[in-house]
Amino acid sequence: MQQLLDLVKQAHVSGDYQPLVDLIPYARVLGVQCECYGEEVIFRLPARPDNIGNPTIPAIHGGVIASFMELTALFQLTLQLPQPGLAKIIDFSLDYMRAGLDRDTFAICHISRQGRRVGNCSVLAWQERKSKPIAQARAHFLLDTDKES
Amino acid sequence: MSEMNDYNARCTRFLHAQPHMQKLGIRLIKAEKNAATLVLPVQSQLISKVLDTYLHGGVLTTLVDAASSVSTLCALERFELCPTLDLRIDHMRTPVQSQPLYVSAECYRVTRSVLFTRASVYQESPSRPVAYAIATFMRPGDGNTDSAFRAMIEGGNDAATA
Repeated sequence: MQQLLDLVKQAHVSGDYQPLVDLIPYARVLGVQCECYGEEVIFRLPARPDNIGNPTIPAIHGGVIASFMELTALFQLTLQLPQPGLAKIIDFSLDYMRAGLDRDTFAICHISRQGRRVGNCSVLAWQERKSKPIAQARAHFLLDTDKES
Repeated sequence: MSEMNDYNARCTRFLHAQPHMQKLGIRLIKAEKNAATLVLPVQSQLISKVLDTYLHGGVLTTLVDAASSVSTLCALERFELCPTLDLRIDHMRTPVQSQPLYVSAECYRVTRSVLFTRASVYQESPSRPVAYAIATFMRPGDGNTDSAFRAMIEGGNDAATA
């Protein structure tokens, strides 16, 4: 856990959050990337053959899009926590709006409330433009994970 | 489409056709009318040496989506490629990375346009669920499933082997 805390600290100083993302094995498998624009953090899921679920369109696997969005929320919360730690997911709810085509996908997370114990997040994912989202999600995370088993 | 084996073959071909399922080694354990069970095996690409608290980080979501989708194959007379409309997952306990993750999904209601599924994720026992999920899928309507893909999933005499 100490390594995580150090990484979060380093990331805040350097502005490079990629080492933090690479800490989660599945984020590495998917190829999730993290780009900062001022205080805005945008996550990118580069197009790659391994992420395809529907070979006929072809389209990205629905679960890949969902997981990417869940990871986006997790990282955003981790970056914002006053005391760094990895938040723990309580629930996740996703609307699929358009097929995720075989191209780069972007996601941004808005934290609508960050309490002492629970964080409320909404995540938007798009490909060609933000005003045409491919999916939107809501998630709750437990923040004081040390006290729960 | 009454033999249990037909469900098994259809679901297995469906999983084989998806590169991401191959990448994760997600495979079918059992398929029967309206229901299917899948497993995500323990694998080094998903093991974190640094974090042992939050282990599968997101991969559970992929597994649930896959299983819910596969269960729709066991509820329809012919294969239809149904996109997911909505997916909701409640996480009850943290899975451990040293054990496989199982998911049993059931397609419990089929209407003309929509399919409803529920799924539970577990490790050592189905009575100790890690997560529950519900999802809805849209039926594509007549003629909107790629006919070559359908033939491949349904198998049959002249279909190419997957």
